[in-house]
Amino acid sequence: MRWGEHAYLLAMKPAPFTYHAPASLDEALGLLAAHGEEARPLAGGQSLVPMMNMRIARPEHLVDLNGVAELSFLREEADAVVVGALVRHAEIERSALLRRVAALLPCVAETIGHYAIRTRGTIGGSLALADPAAQWPLLAMLLDAQLTSARPGGTRTLAARDFFIDIFTTALEPGELLVSASFPRLAPDEGWGYRRFARRHGDFAIVAAAATLALDGAGRIERLRLALGGVGGTPVVLDALASAQQGRLPGPDIWEEVAGSAARAIDPSGDIHASAALRRELAAVLTRSALGDALARTGAHR
Amino acid sequence: MSADRTPAPLLGQPLPRKEDFRFLTGAGRYLDDIEIARALQASFVRSPHAHARIRSIDLSRAQRAPGVTAVVSAAEVNQWTTPLRMAPPIDGLQPVEMTTLPADKVRFHGDPVACVVAADRYLAEDAAELVEVAYEPLPAVADMASALAPGAPLVDDTLPSNLVSHQRFVAGDPARRFVGADRVIEAVFSQHRQTHLPIETRGCAAVWDEGRQHLTFYAGNQVPHPLRSALAARMRLGESQITVISPDIGGGFGQKIALYREELTVAALARALKRPVRWREDRLENILAASHAREDFVKVRAAVTKAGGLLALEMELVEDFGAYCFYPANYLARVVAMILTGPYKLQDYAFEVKIALTNKCGNGPMRAPMAIASWVMEGTMDAIARELGLDPVDLRKRNMLRASELPYVTATGQRLEDITPYETLERGLAAVDYPEFRRRQTAARTEGRHIGLGICSVVESTTYGSAFYKAAGILGSGHEAAWVKVEPSGAVNASLGLMASGQGYETAFAQLVADVLGVGAGDVSIHLGNTDIAPYGMGSRGARGGTAGGGALRLAADDVAAKILHIAAKLLNLNAPDQLRLSGGGVERLTGGAWSTTGLTLTAIARTAYLDPLALPPGMEPGLEAHRAYDPPPMTFSNATHLCEIELDPATGAVRILRYVIVEDCGTVLNAAIVEGQQHGATALGIGGALYEHIVYDATGQLLSGTLADYLVPTACEIPNFEIIALNTPNRQTVTGSKGMAEGGVMGGIGAVCNAVNDALAPFGVTATRQPFSPDYLRSLLRDRR
Amino acid sequence: MSKSLLRLRVNGETHEVLAEPRKLLSDVLREDLHLTGTHVGCEHGVCGACTVLVDGRPARSCLIFAVQMARHEVTTIEVVAQSGRLAHLQQALHETHGLQCGFCTPGIIMTFEAYLADNPAPSEAQIREVLSGNLCRCTGYQNIVRAVLAAAARRRAEGPA
Repeated sequence: MRWGEHAYLLAMKPAPFTYHAPASLDEALGLLAAHGEEARPLAGGQSLVPMMNMRIARPEHLVDLNGVAELSFLREEADAVVVGALVRHAEIERSALLRRVAALLPCVAETIGHYAIRTRGTIGGSLALADPAAQWPLLAMLLDAQLTSARPGGTRTLAARDFFIDIFTTALEPGELLVSASFPRLAPDEGWGYRRFARRHGDFAIVAAAATLALDGAGRIERLRLALGGVGGTPVVLDALASAQQGRLPGPDIWEEVAGSAARAIDPSGDIHASAALRRELAAVLTRSALGDALARTGAHR
Repeated sequence: MSADRTPAPLLGQPLPRKEDFRFLTGAGRYLDDIEIARALQASFVRSPHAHARIRSIDLSRAQRAPGVTAVVSAAEVNQWTTPLRMAPPIDGLQPVEMTTLPADKVRFHGDPVACVVAADRYLAEDAAELVEVAYEPLPAVADMASALAPGAPLVDDTLPSNLVSHQRFVAGDPARRFVGADRVIEAVFSQHRQTHLPIETRGCAAVWDEGRQHLTFYAGNQVPHPLRSALAARMRLGESQITVISPDIGGGFGQKIALYREELTVAALARALKRPVRWREDRLENILAASHAREDFVKVRAAVTKAGGLLALEMELVEDFGAYCFYPANYLARVVAMILTGPYKLQDYAFEVKIALTNKCGNGPMRAPMAIASWVMEGTMDAIARELGLDPVDLRKRNMLRASELPYVTATGQRLEDITPYETLERGLAAVDYPEFRRRQTAARTEGRHIGLGICSVVESTTYGSAFYKAAGILGSGHEAAWVKVEPSGAVNASLGLMASGQGYETAFAQLVADVLGVGAGDVSIHLGNTDIAPYGMGSRGARGGTAGGGALRLAADDVAAKILHIAAKLLNLNAPDQLRLSGGGVERLTGGAWSTTGLTLTAIARTAYLDPLALPPGMEPGLEAHRAYDPPPMTFSNATHLCEIELDPATGAVRILRYVIVEDCGTVLNAAIVEGQQHGATALGIGGALYEHIVYDATGQLLSGTLADYLVPTACEIPNFEIIALNTPNRQTVTGSKGMAEGGVMGGIGAVCNAVNDALAPFGVTATRQPFSPDYLRSLLRDRR
Repeated sequence: MSKSLLRLRVNGETHEVLAEPRKLLSDVLREDLHLTGTHVGCEHGVCGACTVLVDGRPARSCLIFAVQMARHEVTTIEVVAQSGRLAHLQQALHETHGLQCGFCTPGIIMTFEAYLADNPAPSEAQIREVLSGNLCRCTGYQNIVRAVLAAAARRRAEGPA
């Protein structure tokens, strides 16, 4: 579980810290560099503040990024949509631009937590947290998003696969800040599916499946992408399995087969909410459904 | 003064609540909303180990921390207070004693070992981190089986084993019935550990007045007077030296009854420091260390005829009681055993109840502590039906008490009368169209969909009059007390020993009194929670408020009404008040077969009573008030039938509730909307327990489900709409005809959902016996089946 | 850590509070500004009892440090009723018996005051989804849902208040 193993610390008020409210990215980076390991950046706070309240996280310096306006933007490019790290889940959910050019993103954003969480939580915070069951890491891996980060020396861009290393672990170095995520746009007529299984509405997913599907002129699979969350330290992209489907005629039988293969290809762990065996089974069920949704959405203008 | 002469226009009316305004506008007065000048904040240091010797405690660094006024542990606190000795003379119950803070060893993950008092909670937590406790971990017992195994580590070193309570009972001759039975059917039922989880956690504020040598203790507590008595005893104070004030409570559900060690520590600190001290429990503490509940395991053997006649029942129950006894250990399980047979005819019954201590947070009564009973009995009926190939409804009807068979004394000596289980069952079956459901179920199966219907007959024991405690060997009373006063202006004040935590007493009881006095509910104010104002009562628990409290209140109101009418007769120059009644704020008179107003108002009578006593009937005292106490029957009963339709997704183990019907007879109701609200809330709690909530410990006694991300309280997406059909009939023994209610929903929710899941699982040949019926568990049954 | 002067705008008024940066918005509202209508139920963002509006949108005040609110508008339950007149949602909750102990109620009201402003005609399913971010232990949610439906209808007919 996410916080439970630390619960014996039994605090519910955060430890003291010095608060900084930079107005620019450079200023933020400077502060993080100056205070090194004692500093943490604060974005939406929906994950960090609970940890601070429980004293699992106890930065001596808190660098509040919420005033760094340059991190809050949404940009349409020819092949991608670029989302600034500080964009709130709710903004993505409400974005008419994204609904038009990359509907997958707002539709998935709707499923994050609850209304009040989405008004504060940010995509950058979610990506940097790297919860393997969360929506943005899964989509980033599925679509091979390009994640741009900044350090005092400059910026760099990593592919999602290089960015996510393990559970709650990314390639970000101390003092490095995620600046934006560039999500490749889906091809015209490319369908998508996202399915999740949680105990209650709004809970962290136990397992989630995301897929994209493009068909050729004959209605056969031209390009299939498939990724699963909650079944490993990072979201798992099933490249080989997906590309092996190329040229086949999509349908329930194929999805059944792919789902079974997906379940066999993963090695999930269990916890108090779901055993490894259940996660495998959920992976199969959700894969099947997500693929079905993706097929239904092919041809439709997303 | 006769009830049937005075109209009761408000009885049962779904009046919107008088107390709502402050809650809706953020003007409620919960504990933390009360401002107390110069108050310090407490924070507790708790054990990270489930079981460990305390080798040393070093408070010095913490004492020097900024903003700290004091840091104490058992060394101080156990001097300031007496231990709690729990030793009622009950056969098979071991006596136990609990010091205020543990001195020698800690017994569960979260056991409080020290308390920091500082200027605010932030500073207190900073200092708490500096308390150094050297522990020597000991082997822990983290489940009932290990706890009861020979040679198990002892949770309480003064006892010979962890079997803290063991009772047996036999009625009739079950052994002979088992020998003669056509079939013997066995079933097991495992209910997991849960916790009350009120949205407002525990907390208190203690203000010691050194000049008056008087403690004012604020705590959201369901039983203010017993709390006062307990505080006085434990602090070696006179009962007159303590005032308990319970402000608005953000939910209790049974967690806010006992005098907890934290509260006692805070009270003792306030006195020692001569500064007000307050404490707010945080949510992690609340889940870890407040009070747990349930975790009982039941094995049943039923002797039956092949036609489905119940001959005898044997029940073994083991409860995991946790490490500390805030209540007699047999207290909760006892009721399960006593009422298990529910609405069925059965005289040959035996039970064996064992209560085990483990290294977990101690148990307490959680709304419907006897909740497992309905699941066990109704689940047994379903198991019998499946084994004998009978319809579960036919089986129930065959064995269920009909109206003509009442009163019926159960095998355990409970007198069942004025209950209607057969009638609510029939009505419920009609509401869901039972035969049609079976048709739909068969059709769905052919499409690969698995729906199930769960039926749960609930006979809810309530009220618990003094005779119940006497029979149980528990020191204590079941009576309730009330006073009613009409003030000189005609305003009406009333008070009882209960304390509200959402039950709408300020409205429902105002309606009751208003009807008796012939005024509007707006004219009556109900005062609760202050032990200087309210009469000594046993408080709110066990669904006793309406019956015990309402009964006492009604008697007191009747006395006042009688006095009013005697005064009225005198003022109207009549010989007797026989032809008078109270209505519309004044006195009416029966002349020529019709009631008409006399023009004499309640206000005028009140003014006379207080300000012109010479005008009163000769010998009558001035004033207009009455104080009564009422001891209700040892048990009263409500009954209900819960019917729940679910869909099970066998691929994931997920359960979705499609429809939920409740048919309930809860006697005379004071306010129908409040009663329905109680039914909704109770049933939601049962559903949450059956499917979602789970206190999980690992094998070493570490709590794993420590936050609300792990302990899953159901949200609005998990709880269905409830269709409620009221079939209320009065209880002819109680003062108001009420039966008590508000826990039966939990019993029904658990039983109906669990039975529905098993109905859906039936074609797979597996039975779910272990709550919660999580996807993980249900999938494991399906995955592992042969 | 030492206290510093925090400036924040709450319910249309500017306040200056002396507090440490780590002091949560929920605590500053309750203790420094004496606005005790916002309740604390978990301090890890799950129960929703502490929900207030930040710039008109619902947020968990237990997950915000008060110092962060320097250039924002915070709105709490205390100003939902105007001049003693209950808002439609408050009146509806009263009529449907949509509250019992009342502890979760302010958080629910704040959530839906914002939600209904943007979503004037929600379905029951949508209401339940939004409501799922606020835990209630007393009511079983049914009457709350009825109240939101009624309030939405009244708002459509008569305007927001």
